[in-house]
Amino acid sequence: MVLAAAKQESRTQTEKAILPVVASARGLGKIYRRGAEDIHALQDISLDFVHGGFYCVLGPSGAGKTTLLNLLGVMDVPTTGTLIVSGRTIAEAGQVRLSEGARDRLRRENIGFIFTEFFLMTTLTAIENVQMPLLWAGKKDLEYAVELLKRVGLGHRLTHRPSELSGGEMQRVAIARALINRPKLLLADEPTGNVDTKTRDSIFELFRELNAEGLTIVLATHDRELADRVDMVVHLHEGRIVDGKEY
Amino acid sequence: MDYLRLALKNLLRRKVRSSLTLLGIGVAIAVLYSLLEFQRGYEKGLQDQINQLGAHIMVVPKGCPYEAATIVLHGGKWPRYMEESYFDQIKTVAGVSEAAPILMDAMINPATQDNRIFLGITEEYGKLRPKWRMAGAGFSGLNAREVILGVSVAEKFGLTVGDTYRLRQDAAGREAGKDDADMKVVGVLERTGSQDDGFVFMPLHTLQDIFKLPGKIVVVLVRSRKIDPASMDRVTQDLRALGGNMNIFPLSELLNNATQLMQVTRVFVLAIVFVAIAIGAVGVLNTILMAVFERTKEIGMMKAIGASSRDIFALIWTETVLICSVGGLVGVCIAVVSARGIEWFLRKALASQFSELPDTTLIGISGSVIISCLALAVGLGVLAGFYPAWRAGSVKPIEAIRGAN
Repeated sequence: MVLAAAKQESRTQTEKAILPVVASARGLGKIYRRGAEDIHALQDISLDFVHGGFYCVLGPSGAGKTTLLNLLGVMDVPTTGTLIVSGRTIAEAGQVRLSEGARDRLRRENIGFIFTEFFLMTTLTAIENVQMPLLWAGKKDLEYAVELLKRVGLGHRLTHRPSELSGGEMQRVAIARALINRPKLLLADEPTGNVDTKTRDSIFELFRELNAEGLTIVLATHDRELADRVDMVVHLHEGRIVDGKEY
Repeated sequence: MDYLRLALKNLLRRKVRSSLTLLGIGVAIAVLYSLLEFQRGYEKGLQDQINQLGAHIMVVPKGCPYEAATIVLHGGKWPRYMEESYFDQIKTVAGVSEAAPILMDAMINPATQDNRIFLGITEEYGKLRPKWRMAGAGFSGLNAREVILGVSVAEKFGLTVGDTYRLRQDAAGREAGKDDADMKVVGVLERTGSQDDGFVFMPLHTLQDIFKLPGKIVVVLVRSRKIDPASMDRVTQDLRALGGNMNIFPLSELLNNATQLMQVTRVFVLAIVFVAIAIGAVGVLNTILMAVFERTKEIGMMKAIGASSRDIFALIWTETVLICSVGGLVGVCIAVVSARGIEWFLRKALASQFSELPDTTLIGISGSVIISCLALAVGLGVLAGFYPAWRAGSVKPIEAIRGAN
């Protein structure tokens, strides 16, 4: 089932075929064990995320949105199926093919993450938070960090700590932080879950701009209104891709 | 942004907890520094005292050699005597370069409780004190009623060469037969920095006469021609062969014995210090481990944005080593700043065991001891930080993220 329930509007099949695939899943599944019980968080997910695409994973709580993002972000490994991210086979037929260190490196070099709760370091300023991924990459690029903060509209908040920022501003800092390593894939897990409608819209517009510049974005949300503004929507329900009408 | 700065900011986030942990390490290191420095100062002070004696071997009547050594090093009354004639035999031993007979006695002024030490010497004593500088011509004969004063005694009574030193004024001069012991000051020593500064020197026979100890001496200080162990052994053996119920006591042995005595105490105190350090280390481990548990989400986030397990391990390890290093530095500072107080306390605490504690400063500033203490603190951080760092490095980002959502 490839993009079985995805709403395809702007890209044609031909366009899709010639665009490189950033991430690809075939028969992907994830089972968590809770005591003696197996929880099927994801089942039989087959999807291709092409370069420059803007995807929305839509579903209610417990549908498997976060699990899917964690797998795409190689923070977790699948129990079944095959997963390829940025040309590297993470798992094949349920067997993990990439070491933890290699997965860390792959994530650092190719993927940007944004969370609902921002996860900013409270002791660091905005500019320091943005630069943090560079520390792990052994790089320094203050100019680019400043540029990114200006880009997200926080050029005047460089030295402010998270406690001095609004929810929307904190999420913008988190977005800048996710972009600092120039990722190919941006994964956003309910990024507007903790902000008001106006801020949500402005953040979404920022995503739009980034996508227009060629960044592949996968946005997990239960906000239908947001999903309606996205080209491709994957409906998830109880760990499976379903027809949009079922949700 | 670098690891060190990030680690520092993380530690500063919980100031009180970090400070208390740091203080725990600091106090343990301060005690260790004081002890090591005390040991070093003690050995050096004792070595200096022995060097100032200018002799290699001490010949004393049978008795406790340590007690004798203390009397010789610090001066005092030791009611064991040998015949002066024994000194003539010592001079005949091959390998003896210089030998000086000494009669030593002391009196306490009952009014002031001031302890005055008198040394009866001959011209040979001067040969063991080549660095003596003195105003005055010195003794005119072995029976002359003359004194050479240590600088402290001269200053106390305002005496200079040509003045009269009155025994009755200084010490318990009213004892029978000593009231007429007024003597001419024929020399005042320049400050030597040694125990000599507090002594009153008299010609040997004069002192024998005043204290009614005719023909008696307490010690003969012997300088060997060669100081290699084999030569020293030979001279010691030859002196022992003279018989006469004497203790032939090489001063290097005194140093070794005194040091060994200190070592026994040191092992005991070191054991206590290491328990304190171990408690400090457990405190550090606990603090960092708690911080790791509290920061699970944050660590998960760091991994999600690109940190590897090794990066997280390095960060937490850096935090631990940092807190221990600063703790070590604080400890050394505490020890240096409160050195006088600690020394006073240790002197009081050890007074019963170490009556011959040198008068020189025992707890000073020593680069090697500072480096040892800091190295220990860093090592402590390396060890104590390993487990929390490993735990932090093992955090699965997914767990953290799931925990947050």
